[in-house]
Amino acid sequence: MNIYLMLSLVFSSIGALFALTRQFQMFQQNSYYPSRYFGWLKTSFNDGFLGCALVYLLVSVFYFFKLNLVLCIVTFFILCYNIKTAITLQKRSVKGLVFTDRVKRLYLATAILYVILILIYVFFSKSLAGRISTAVLLLLCYITPITTFALWGITLPIEKRINKYYIDDAKKILAFRPDLTVIGVTGSYGKTTTKFILTRILSEKFNVVCTPHSYNTPMGIVKTIRSLLKPQTEIFVCEMGAKEVGNIKEDCDIASPKYGIITSVGPQHLETFKSIENVFSTKFELADAVKENNGITFVNGDSKEIINRINGEYKIYGTDKNFDFYGENLSYGRNGSQFTVTLDGQKVEFSTRLLGLHSIIDIIGAVALAHTLGVSIPDLQYAVSTLKPAEHRLQMKPFTNGSLLIDDAYNSNPEGCLEAVRVLGSFDGMKKVIVTPGLVELGEKEYECNYALGHEAAKNCDIIILVGTNRSKPMADAVRDSDFNQNNLYIAASFKEAMDIYSRFADSDTAVLFENDLPDNYLY
Amino acid sequence: MKINVAVFYGCRSVEHEVSIISAVQAMRSINRQKYDITPVYVDKNGEMFTGEKLFDIENYRNLPELIKTCRKVYFARQGDKVLMKSAEQKLFGKQKDVSIDVAFPVVHGTNCEDGTIQGLFEFLNLPYVGCDIVSSAVGMDKAVFKDVLKNAGLPVLDCMSFGAKEYMANKQDYAKQISEKIGFPLIVKPINLGSSVGITKVNSEKELDSAISLAFSFTDRILVEHAITKLREINCSVVGDYDSQEASVCEEPIANDEILSYKDKYMGGGKNSGGSKGMASLGRKIPADLTKDKEKEIRELACKIFKAIGANGVVRIDFMIDEATDTVYANEINTIPGSLAFYLWEATGVKYTALIDKLIDLAFKRARVRENITYTIKTNILAGVSFGSKGTKGAKI
Repeated sequence: MNIYLMLSLVFSSIGALFALTRQFQMFQQNSYYPSRYFGWLKTSFNDGFLGCALVYLLVSVFYFFKLNLVLCIVTFFILCYNIKTAITLQKRSVKGLVFTDRVKRLYLATAILYVILILIYVFFSKSLAGRISTAVLLLLCYITPITTFALWGITLPIEKRINKYYIDDAKKILAFRPDLTVIGVTGSYGKTTTKFILTRILSEKFNVVCTPHSYNTPMGIVKTIRSLLKPQTEIFVCEMGAKEVGNIKEDCDIASPKYGIITSVGPQHLETFKSIENVFSTKFELADAVKENNGITFVNGDSKEIINRINGEYKIYGTDKNFDFYGENLSYGRNGSQFTVTLDGQKVEFSTRLLGLHSIIDIIGAVALAHTLGVSIPDLQYAVSTLKPAEHRLQMKPFTNGSLLIDDAYNSNPEGCLEAVRVLGSFDGMKKVIVTPGLVELGEKEYECNYALGHEAAKNCDIIILVGTNRSKPMADAVRDSDFNQNNLYIAASFKEAMDIYSRFADSDTAVLFENDLPDNYLY
Repeated sequence: MKINVAVFYGCRSVEHEVSIISAVQAMRSINRQKYDITPVYVDKNGEMFTGEKLFDIENYRNLPELIKTCRKVYFARQGDKVLMKSAEQKLFGKQKDVSIDVAFPVVHGTNCEDGTIQGLFEFLNLPYVGCDIVSSAVGMDKAVFKDVLKNAGLPVLDCMSFGAKEYMANKQDYAKQISEKIGFPLIVKPINLGSSVGITKVNSEKELDSAISLAFSFTDRILVEHAITKLREINCSVVGDYDSQEASVCEEPIANDEILSYKDKYMGGGKNSGGSKGMASLGRKIPADLTKDKEKEIRELACKIFKAIGANGVVRIDFMIDEATDTVYANEINTIPGSLAFYLWEATGVKYTALIDKLIDLAFKRARVRENITYTIKTNILAGVSFGSKGTKGAKI
């Protein structure tokens, strides 16, 4: 046995371990779905592929010609390179590899794979099997995606058993709690917001636990049940997400909801759902589960894809007078939104710091369900008044010279931007100002979307300040094409300049909307 | 999965034994279908113990023996749980940590009922039954309690309060002031003791100094207030929180002495009854013999007082009626009343078990309300702060 060859094997095995980190990270971020992971592989196939192929070729050549010393040096450098890349990637990534138990098991499986290969190499070094195992060990660095798939295959039966154990455990916990009320929340959009609003409102009367963050997979639900549910918990609000048909049913089989809210059906994850009908039927798997428990499902009637399809026993909420629970008289002002919801024939006034029709509809849904569960009207009103918007999402803040800032700097969705401008337009009796650089990274639709935004701004604002001379051109075009008073259109070279312009006419009767992609540090 | 209730009692307090009786009664009345009970006996040294033997009042006759059978514990937050851990590890057999869902303090007197033990729970972020720190502290300090009530426009007797050192230095002055401002007969009481400990009625200036000295032997601040000659004492319990309050029927304690002495209050019939069963056995009339209007007045007043100090859970408020003028005055509040005033609630139609259930619900409700208020900013503000580079001479944060 050659010492250099052995060293090469050691180097390249360790190198492969580091190279695998990246693959594990992406495998983890694709929720361990091989299909989604494969999708990522396809898009990033070119990254360093050529380099890999070259080194691969070199190593093969050195090995074939038994140039063991060279091989040893090359593999050593590859090892160093792999370590460096793994460390920088882990540091630079928005979300690095999280060393969960599952990832640890992946590494353990890798170790076992190594041991097997090494044993073959040691005991059969002269035979073909030995040679193959040597080759595999040398090349492990460059075939990490294949290794990852192999490891997935090897660990799959174990993972399935482990998941089953956790799921059964969660079911057992729920079985011991027949008094616990479970509420399922799903929908293409608005489910996380609705979940948090509902939890806040219900907590006026009950001990409530909800799935944290946007945990909405079966394992997320299981984790919540096993770690956050307390003996005193009376209501469990469970967000349920879906990317494929049958996903919601899986969630419901675990959580067994007595009540449900379906916030919307829309063209999300169409690549896996194939059709909007499939999205609809998947979301309504929640309604099926609720029906089995003799419960009630609340659906958002303002979602076209829902209202056009449903027939059956649902409580419908939204903004139409024919719905079971409807909101009306929405107005915006310095104190936020004011609106009325009709609850069992009684008109109830609400006020909240949340702005925008979507948020208001989410509140109506949550209020409808909380009212049904017996939260009193004063409690509903109080809880709604305490709701807080997410950071930089139509968030109201006091600003220069006593003016009102509506900070929507994190909004990059074209539809959402138009709605934000309409919200600003509804601030009656105030001078309405928009400061925006327009939308970016929309590809070929960019001009069209910005033109539409400019058009909407011209309709709703008194003063328009665009940031960036070139960037804001489509919006400026739209404003010029409208009958907007051109003297009130300003184009600033920088955000700072925009602020200088703004501060000239900011007073306590001014509302200013910061729309999309403005630097954080200017906001304070 | 039952809710694990840790019942705290005992403590470094002159009412240590009374607390034991109240707690053992309460533990017997907690609904075992819904709750697990972890008794936490705090000895007079402040050390905490748990054990099965703590459930039986008979075992408390020999405290050293009882403690030997118990496990010494402490409490710590870990993640989203509060755990009861063994303070002393045994050589063999690791002792399991116990997760506590809610604390139920059944303690009386200073060093515990006055906000001290509530501070421990707040610090652990553990839901707990009863008044919070501020209302407990206000309830314990008789002078502050009077001030708060006076501010809220509620009727209390005027008083003088002063410390031991200032009194010692100017005895003559104080005697003069007291006779002028308050007049005889008067009552001298320690500022922060319950259960009538150290309280004396003084009929003339001659008796004043010894009464004050007695009070100062218990505490370093006392208060002096006018004694009502035609006095009726009426007690009323309130359950609730800031949002809603409910008052019980009223009781009238029957005193052997002029003021309920410690013996009256907690030793029941006195020497011969052999051991005490707590407030429940005190001579009293329930419901008190009052006109409908008077009873209504007192019950409403009780709710207002409860709200004025921001109380929570169950309290007992002691009133005085000056029969000469038919005026009601609030005398003092017990933020954790002896026997949790269950006898008043049973007379009102609420079973002890239901009362405890309600108290625990209120504890969780308060915890929820506090959770809805942001106490910590999630991001670390220090992360973005420059502390000055290492090389800079004399750089300060």
